[in-house]
Amino acid sequence: MLDTAPAVRTAPDRDDPGPARPRRRFRPGPYLLILPTVAVIAVLMFWPIVQIGIMSFQKVGTRQLRGEPAEQVGLDNFRTIVDDPFFWQTLRHTVLFAVVAVVLTMVVGTLIGLLLNKLGRRMANVVAGGVLVAWATPPVTAAIIFSWLFGSTGGLVNWTLDKLPDALVGGGWDDHNWFATPLSTYTVLTICVVWQACPFVAVSVLAGLKSVPSELYEAARVDGSSAWRSFWSITVPLLKPIFLLLIVMSIIWDFKVFTQLFIMSGLANRDAFNLSLYAYSEAFGSLNPKLGMGSAIAVVLTLLLLVVTAVYVRVMVRQGETR
Amino acid sequence: MKYIKIAAAVTAIALAATACGGDKKDDAGSGKDPATLKVWMMGDGTPEQTKFLDGVETEFKQKHPNTDVQIKYVPWPQVANAFQKAAAGGEGPDVTELGNTDVQSHIEQGNLYDISDRVSGWADAKTLNKTALENDKADGKTYAVPWYGGVRGVWYRKDWFDKAGLTAPKNWAELTAAAKKIQDQEKVPGIGVPTDQTNALLSFIWGDGGEVALKEGGKWVGKLDSPQVKEAVEYYTGLISKEKVAPEKYVGKNELDGPQNDFALGKLGMYVDGSWAYAQMKKISPKNADKWAVFPIPAKDGGNAPALAGGSDVAVWKDTKAPAAAFDYITVLNNAKNAAAWADISGFSSMRSDVKFSDPRLAVFTDIAGNTKFAPISSGWGEFEQAKKVLPNALKAIVQGKSVDDELKKANEQANTLLNP
Repeated sequence: MLDTAPAVRTAPDRDDPGPARPRRRFRPGPYLLILPTVAVIAVLMFWPIVQIGIMSFQKVGTRQLRGEPAEQVGLDNFRTIVDDPFFWQTLRHTVLFAVVAVVLTMVVGTLIGLLLNKLGRRMANVVAGGVLVAWATPPVTAAIIFSWLFGSTGGLVNWTLDKLPDALVGGGWDDHNWFATPLSTYTVLTICVVWQACPFVAVSVLAGLKSVPSELYEAARVDGSSAWRSFWSITVPLLKPIFLLLIVMSIIWDFKVFTQLFIMSGLANRDAFNLSLYAYSEAFGSLNPKLGMGSAIAVVLTLLLLVVTAVYVRVMVRQGETR
Repeated sequence: MKYIKIAAAVTAIALAATACGGDKKDDAGSGKDPATLKVWMMGDGTPEQTKFLDGVETEFKQKHPNTDVQIKYVPWPQVANAFQKAAAGGEGPDVTELGNTDVQSHIEQGNLYDISDRVSGWADAKTLNKTALENDKADGKTYAVPWYGGVRGVWYRKDWFDKAGLTAPKNWAELTAAAKKIQDQEKVPGIGVPTDQTNALLSFIWGDGGEVALKEGGKWVGKLDSPQVKEAVEYYTGLISKEKVAPEKYVGKNELDGPQNDFALGKLGMYVDGSWAYAQMKKISPKNADKWAVFPIPAKDGGNAPALAGGSDVAVWKDTKAPAAAFDYITVLNNAKNAAAWADISGFSSMRSDVKFSDPRLAVFTDIAGNTKFAPISSGWGEFEQAKKVLPNALKAIVQGKSVDDELKKANEQANTLLNP
């Protein structure tokens, strides 16, 4: 950006050739173009993040929102969290859910991508259309649809399971409450989240597959390779950068799932909380908001995500190097 | 929704950090009439309510011709959020309805305007329910006045009870027996026992002589480890797990997340709800509305169990620029004529001793309202009940097989800390 570095590098004999060296001079154009975005992000993202960082060391309630000075409590909020077994329970839920959901999203998404690649044009359009609807559905809508599907009064899933022969699925499904225990709540949540997330994976994988030269597969087929072998020996190595990126992004998305869980099991079922819901309930759950505690939990979640993001950036940089 | 909330919270926080300095001197503006008076009402609002409030406005305008009243309905689930934003952003109401269990939290947070003098100068204040008014005070100052009260009873199907030869249960044993009989006869669950319905649980705890917490020496002391509470909790959860007359599908839910719907559709024998449920259920399915009836929640050994004194109060918001007009609005809203009209429209009992229900269908609620109790009058109750949901989560764990003693011991420890913020 500054002109010192180029000055050192510029060799005298290379001064003239003009068009090849545009980056040597500082050009404000690109920065001006990005300025509005940065300004908006700064106001809407960076400033709140800074505020959350500050508040995580304070005791903040409604009186402080009204303008009273907040009491500094140092690391107390973090200490309270770490000492609370409930925090570890929510962290466990968050991590386990992310692991399961990411694996399923990748597997299902990849399979759909492969299917789309194999299908003829018309069917591929039909499948792609169906898949993209899932992607386009807002999380709130999806969560409401799923809580209806799995609802205990008039829910389609219970109705179907009840109609199926008892020998197959057991009886008593009519009044089954899917949101009574954390395991079954998270089962429904996983289905919902994976259903929404796999289209992105499918489309990305499909795009990758289109770029793989078909000669490679033909050669493999001539050599008598099975489809399974071709997938692992050709597709996976070639699409590795895409897979890595998709995995990292899925981890980030699944770590911070909030909307679906909030709608499905809500604030009443603390045994099914994840980190986001825990932070929300502390900060906004009652008329006595504990914004400091909520912020501290949010900071922990942010730090965890920063680690994942660091991996993501590393993957990106590495990819740039290999290309 | 999440993003709206976050954005709002962010705005609120930003505003709080930058603006909001200095105390307002309120008496300066009290003589002048504001152009608009913002009134917040809780709940979704009904056409009848809007019509009623229009009438109140007309009457209010006789005294304040230059002031327009602006009503905003805040749905109950969003109440906590709406008030937080109001406190932080300054976009609050002038007059607001408050759930009576929230009043102490509001006072503690400095959300409400001190109306002690105005209340003592208001002739009608003498008609207000004394216990309810006590709930609106802190340190000898009054911050709100009771408006209406709501108590809950057990809704049941009269036709099913008649067919089974049952009468309204008088004690716990009869309640269980009735639920069983209805369940066998109608092939629907006998009674709805949601675990996230503390108002019902409290009646069972009180109906056995138990308490959540008592104030001893200026401090709230949890009483959830007493044998009476244990017995009540065992009875309540036992309806699901032992007697099997209540379905498991309401575990982790509240009475509006299923029981109300199922009862209205004729898929549930009984459930606990208030007088206001009648109008809500008629919206779901009016088919059997004439067969719905109510009996008081029975105490363990007979008689009515004390009902949680639910209901709403009205208060003047701290940031108002027109406290005089705001309080005048309250006096019009709750004068004898409007209080009577509101009781009939809403199904809530008035908190004025000189106003009674005129609808015979709701007479039973007058009976129930004769024996009410308050949840612990502590600003920590909001944290205990809304944010931490201590009792609902204990109940849920017990239904799912955890030890009653352990769960109640844990809940009691939380009561000891959370109720003394």
